Amino acid sequence: MISKKALQLLIDKLGAQNVASEKEDLLVLGYDSTPGLHHLPDVVVYPTTTEGVQAAMEIAYEENMPITPRGSGTGLSGGSVPVQGGMVICLNRMNKILEIDEENLTATVEAGVVTLDLFNAVAEKGLFYPPDPGSQKISTLAGNVMEDAGGLRGLKYGVTRDYVMALKVVLPDGTILETGGKSVKDVAGYSLKDVMIGSEGTLGIITEITVSLIPPPQDKRTFLAYFDDVRVAGATVSEIIAAKIIPSTMEIMDKATINCVEDYVKIGLPREMAALLLIEVDGHPAVVAEEAEALERILQAKAAEVQSARDTEHAAELAAARRTALSALARVSPTTLLEDATVPRSRLAETFAEIERLTEKYQLKVGTFGHAGDGNLHPTVLCDERDADEMKRAHAFYDELYEQVLAWGGTVSGEHGIGVAKKDFLALQIGPGGVDVMRRIKNAFDPKGLLNPGKIIDGKQQ
Amino acid sequence: MTDTDKKDPKLSPTGNFSKQDAPPYEGSLQCMRCGFCLPTCPTFVLTGRERSSPRGRVALARAVAEEKLDFTEAVKEESFFCLDCRACTTACPSGVKAGEIMEICRDQAHQLKPGGHLSTGFRNFILQKMMPSPERMESAMLPSRLYQRLGIQWLVRHSQLLKLGPDWMAKAEGMMPKMDKPLRLQLPEITPAIGEKRGKVGFFLGCVMTLMYPEISRQTVRVLAHQGFEVVTPKQTKCCGAPHLTEGDRKTARDLALFNIDLFLDQDVEYIVTDCAGCGSALKEYEELLEGEADHHRLAQFRSKIRDISEFLAEVGLRTEALKEIKRSVTYHEPCHLCHAQGISQQPREVIRQIPGIELREMKESSWCCGSAATWGLKFTDESQQVLDRKLNNVKQTEADILVTGNPGCQLQLAWGVREAGMPQEVKHLIELLGEALPESDND
Ligand SMILES: Cc1cc2nc3c(=O)[nH]c(=O)nc-3n(C[C@H](O)[C@H](O)[C@H](O)COP(=O)(O)OP(=O)(O)OC[C@H]3O[C@@H](n4cnc5c(N)ncnc54)[C@H](O)[C@@H]3O)c2cc1C
Ligand code: SF4
Ligand code: SF4
Repeated sequence: MISKKALQLLIDKLGAQNVASEKEDLLVLGYDSTPGLHHLPDVVVYPTTTEGVQAAMEIAYEENMPITPRGSGTGLSGGSVPVQGGMVICLNRMNKILEIDEENLTATVEAGVVTLDLFNAVAEKGLFYPPDPGSQKISTLAGNVMEDAGGLRGLKYGVTRDYVMALKVVLPDGTILETGGKSVKDVAGYSLKDVMIGSEGTLGIITEITVSLIPPPQDKRTFLAYFDDVRVAGATVSEIIAAKIIPSTMEIMDKATINCVEDYVKIGLPREMAALLLIEVDGHPAVVAEEAEALERILQAKAAEVQSARDTEHAAELAAARRTALSALARVSPTTLLEDATVPRSRLAETFAEIERLTEKYQLKVGTFGHAGDGNLHPTVLCDERDADEMKRAHAFYDELYEQVLAWGGTVSGEHGIGVAKKDFLALQIGPGGVDVMRRIKNAFDPKGLLNPGKIIDGKQQ
Repeated sequence: MTDTDKKDPKLSPTGNFSKQDAPPYEGSLQCMRCGFCLPTCPTFVLTGRERSSPRGRVALARAVAEEKLDFTEAVKEESFFCLDCRACTTACPSGVKAGEIMEICRDQAHQLKPGGHLSTGFRNFILQKMMPSPERMESAMLPSRLYQRLGIQWLVRHSQLLKLGPDWMAKAEGMMPKMDKPLRLQLPEITPAIGEKRGKVGFFLGCVMTLMYPEISRQTVRVLAHQGFEVVTPKQTKCCGAPHLTEGDRKTARDLALFNIDLFLDQDVEYIVTDCAGCGSALKEYEELLEGEADHHRLAQFRSKIRDISEFLAEVGLRTEALKEIKRSVTYHEPCHLCHAQGISQQPREVIRQIPGIELREMKESSWCCGSAATWGLKFTDESQQVLDRKLNNVKQTEADILVTGNPGCQLQLAWGVREAGMPQEVKHLIELLGEALPESDND
């Protein structure tokens, strides 16, 4: 419960329209996209300036109230769920693009700017912001930074981290930290910016972000290849990379997913195929032509069927299957568990085989798609949260899968983060020493343990 | 949703909803909270408030079913604040229909929290006595009441919430087009086909069309005849029930639906065509509305015949030989109840492109709600003025001569908005444009 005095203080500082404490408001700010997680906060604030964030943090600090930052709540590991109640700070009303600097090729935005809005704004000036998580239509840039979000273009263009140049952050006690800048090089002291990226809102609250931009690729070629054996698809991915071609996109879909898509949109996908790869190469026209030729040669030798896009329209048609994958899967059942096991590329085929084995073992419905080039797969369990037994089997499925993924030198999260969902796995992956260093970092930023408690690691209060 | 799910109250709880017409629990459970619907929802964009978003509304409905929340004033408010534009349905990867859930919640509101935005007596009078009877509607001041369906109704609901000035009603009246004689009484029951006959279709003449836009529907029948179709327009046609669904009176909506189904299935027509996107989407939902209450086969049969006029013309193929050239540029605004509720987006464009001489210029965000009734110079918040402004701005950028749409609600709103903004565009229904391209004929 928040005290009357604190509530009034929040209203005075932030304005009544930016503070909510009615049950109906609290109810809808206690979830993100992680299935089965829900906790009520005690109060929700929508600051519109850095000073507003500061004021809210100071009040929470005084009240010893846990604080959970939130962007658009599309996270898949429970990062923005207020597991210990307290105050949710929603950044989605801080949504101004402050500057697009064409000389330095940077953009500076407020924390709550939506990823796709930034993409469009810089595109209008002939520039390119590559990170494109599947949720880009609504995810916020601060949410992207805090989860170090990746996307379809990750293989060639990298992930969010690769574009962050500077951050403005409010620390739990209200101190403002500015780290990084527009200089391309910067080795002054510890890179606090890099500590912040991927910290899932446990170290500070971002209010401003400066990202770097690049010129967009001038040309693009799209291919779709079907395989009658997943292992051959996996081997093809490795072969393409070994041939020193780095596609901008290299997406994979398994048989179950192909069939779900075909059930849903009926576009004539071959249901008997074991996997498909959607591959795009982009860049300078001369390079693209050369890479496309080499790529096609590899695909023709390996795949059961290869289609090459004639024009942009046809390219969109080829990409349609991958684009509808999530929609097709999500419709099959009430509950959709979307995970992100990631392995070294060379283990791709084995991972598919393991998923198949576990699907059989636990008698589940699973569709797998993902960023093949990154070894980043989304084995998606289609289930019904009302069926306790099925949910138990689903969790056992992931437990066993992640154990194997770790044994292969993979990671329990390629892009969705640890949050509350994967704390135990993290400990397995980085060991007690790793957890301890993380805890010390956490305590240095947040000695009272108020900021997003219960996420990534179980913090120890000093 | 299977029947077994429906039967097990433990798996499909109605919780704090009234059991009568509770929103199906599966519908809310299906939401995976991905947020993809948020940027397409006008009320979320307007307020930035989660509970006024599709995801938030579905979560509220779910909480009521799970007894985590009573059916509170706030839930009622959200159900009426929702524009029912269905943009969220198009955006949702998971097949959730937040707008429909809110529509059902309005019925719940009347059961659980009667009174409020319209007094019960008044509402019953309009919805149960007046609208089901074509005669009474025509003889009364009903046109202005009908306008409720189109958006004033939305304003009425929010007149307090939005702190409208006392003169909003007068200004709203200013939006109304000049009223001609209702078309229903003038149209023959049977209009013969012109030229080589291609078939026989029923025409569902909507209330708003007959009362407020008779000239448009007259053109619809004329175009159908010129396209080689014999047109049957049953005089007894009753309101499609959309206003009742919107206002949360599902019972009367069902009565109307049963009547119209019998009426049209008796006509021996291959298709049932409408030129009102609002009617079309309601007619297509009869099957769901009457699930378990009418013969399944008849419902499916009725559903399979319903076509929006643009959908119909694109499907049977437009005969263009006789069409005159119209050398004008047009841009197309997609009515929510066409593109989001019925998934019809390409067909109107196909038809427009086939009119000789017409140049179609796409506007940005063509499927973004026009705010049908939000805004204008009423004492309104800045943000809500933006809904209409956003649309008009996109229209302006095309510099097109004509703004084409396919729903009376949009047409009223846009015609008013364009006029107020001093913009040069004419606002037309797609069928008016097609009507202009038709040659004069003795049979007209
Ligand atoms: C359908 C779907 C597809 C997805 N696809 C991808 C994908 O392709 N790649 C990918 O990487 N992820 C993906 N995600 C996951 C998710 O969208 C990303 O993690 C995204 O970056 C979250 O952004 P958000 O604004 O919704 O943040 P939220 O979910 O609100 O928050 C995420 C985390 O950041 C913290 N946070 C938010 N704002 C701030 C701030 N201003 N300061 C400090 N901390 C903050 C929160 O506390 C939380 O820990 C997907 C999710 C869904 C539902
Ligand atoms: S898009 Fe659909 S599944 Fe996603 S939050 Fe909205 S209603 Fe829920
Ligand atoms: S129907 Fe329209 S207003 Fe209502 S929730 Fe959906 S998008 Fe929002």
